[in-house]
Amino acid sequence: MTPFLNGFIITLLFLSGVYAAAVMERWSVTGHVNWGGPVRSFLLLFAREEIKTRKHDKVFFETAPILFIGVILLTISILPFAPGSVIIDLGTGALFINAALVYVMVALLMMGWAINGVYAMIGGWRAIAQLIAYSMPVVMVLTATVMRAESMFLTDIVESQKGLWNILYQPVGFILFYISALAIAFLPPFDLPTAGGELAGGVWADLTGARKLLFRLGRLTLVFTVSAAVVVLYLGGWMGPWLPDFVWTFLKTLLVAASFFAVGRFMPRIRHDHLLEYNWKYGVPLALYNIFQVGVVLLL
Amino acid sequence: MAPLTQYLLLLGMGITTAGLVWMLYLIKQSLGQTLDEPGKDIPAESGNLAPKPAWLRYHVHYYGYALLFLAFDMEMAYMYPWAVVYREVGILALLDMGVFLMILFLGLIYTWTQLGLKRQ
Repeated sequence: MTPFLNGFIITLLFLSGVYAAAVMERWSVTGHVNWGGPVRSFLLLFAREEIKTRKHDKVFFETAPILFIGVILLTISILPFAPGSVIIDLGTGALFINAALVYVMVALLMMGWAINGVYAMIGGWRAIAQLIAYSMPVVMVLTATVMRAESMFLTDIVESQKGLWNILYQPVGFILFYISALAIAFLPPFDLPTAGGELAGGVWADLTGARKLLFRLGRLTLVFTVSAAVVVLYLGGWMGPWLPDFVWTFLKTLLVAASFFAVGRFMPRIRHDHLLEYNWKYGVPLALYNIFQVGVVLLL
Repeated sequence: MAPLTQYLLLLGMGITTAGLVWMLYLIKQSLGQTLDEPGKDIPAESGNLAPKPAWLRYHVHYYGYALLFLAFDMEMAYMYPWAVVYREVGILALLDMGVFLMILFLGLIYTWTQLGLKRQ
């Protein structure tokens, strides 16, 4: 297969994956599977008039959606779908995932600030609290995967899992990264910036039209991105029998995304001070233990 | 691929994304203007008319965590290069970083004992 055709198929798979994520998101809220739903929401938001709140911050109001969707697309572009099919194979891949996804929360704070509404502003401050809570476990478990691969190239990290996937090699790290991935994508148990019931939509409450569309689209891509990151770092990436390699990445990614939404459907929202407390009291020590465990096993 | 090309690609992707978003804004603008109706531009506040701006002093009650976060984040900057050469250097690397992490971890424990790890 030529590289061009390969890239074309992967782009199609990526788009269909995001669409599937949209269908699953709808299911996680309503409990119904509606295959046409995302198209309808898209047309609705596309045709809706643009309402800007009075006294909004003009610069942040325009740039926050661009930053949000921009960093997510940069992150997906460095994740490998197959050995030869990675758009940009960065030498600092594992670090770049973390560094880029931090800006998701920055974009949320910018949007919350820009609207100049009370609920949106509280949503923005909570976004930063959430970042402080999940960031440390994420970087620590990422370090543990880098230790095993002896390289920060994401392709090397996948290659290092030949024989034994990281989910079995460092199960503590997997659990921490899985929970943190939910928090990065601010999915339901951790949807503090956009809390539906208490903040009436929080950061998103006052957005209509193009900006809401960008945020919704960006969030769906973000869910797909963090699922792909879980697959690359812990579930052996493209490894699997019979099927072509990128199909394996795609199937695993969809499975992880589905599990994200399933978790969100059956979990109550966690309070943000509890989130901070649990992450720093139990998450960080567990992440340190994970580094220690991987370090000892590597030297044996 | 040369590293410079990669970063140029990243820059190009960023610019392309911004361009696409700008196009979307332009298309939306050409589709129709917003009707000027009273009360439409007031931010959502459950029926209140939001008299003042929301850019007030806010009690960021997680400042203790934020300070801890700074300390740990600095430490993480050293962790990445360490992790790459870990297996090469061997037991010495484990001890070096172990001592360093232990000192930081004691800081976490100390904060915990001073009731820093709860809502202020």
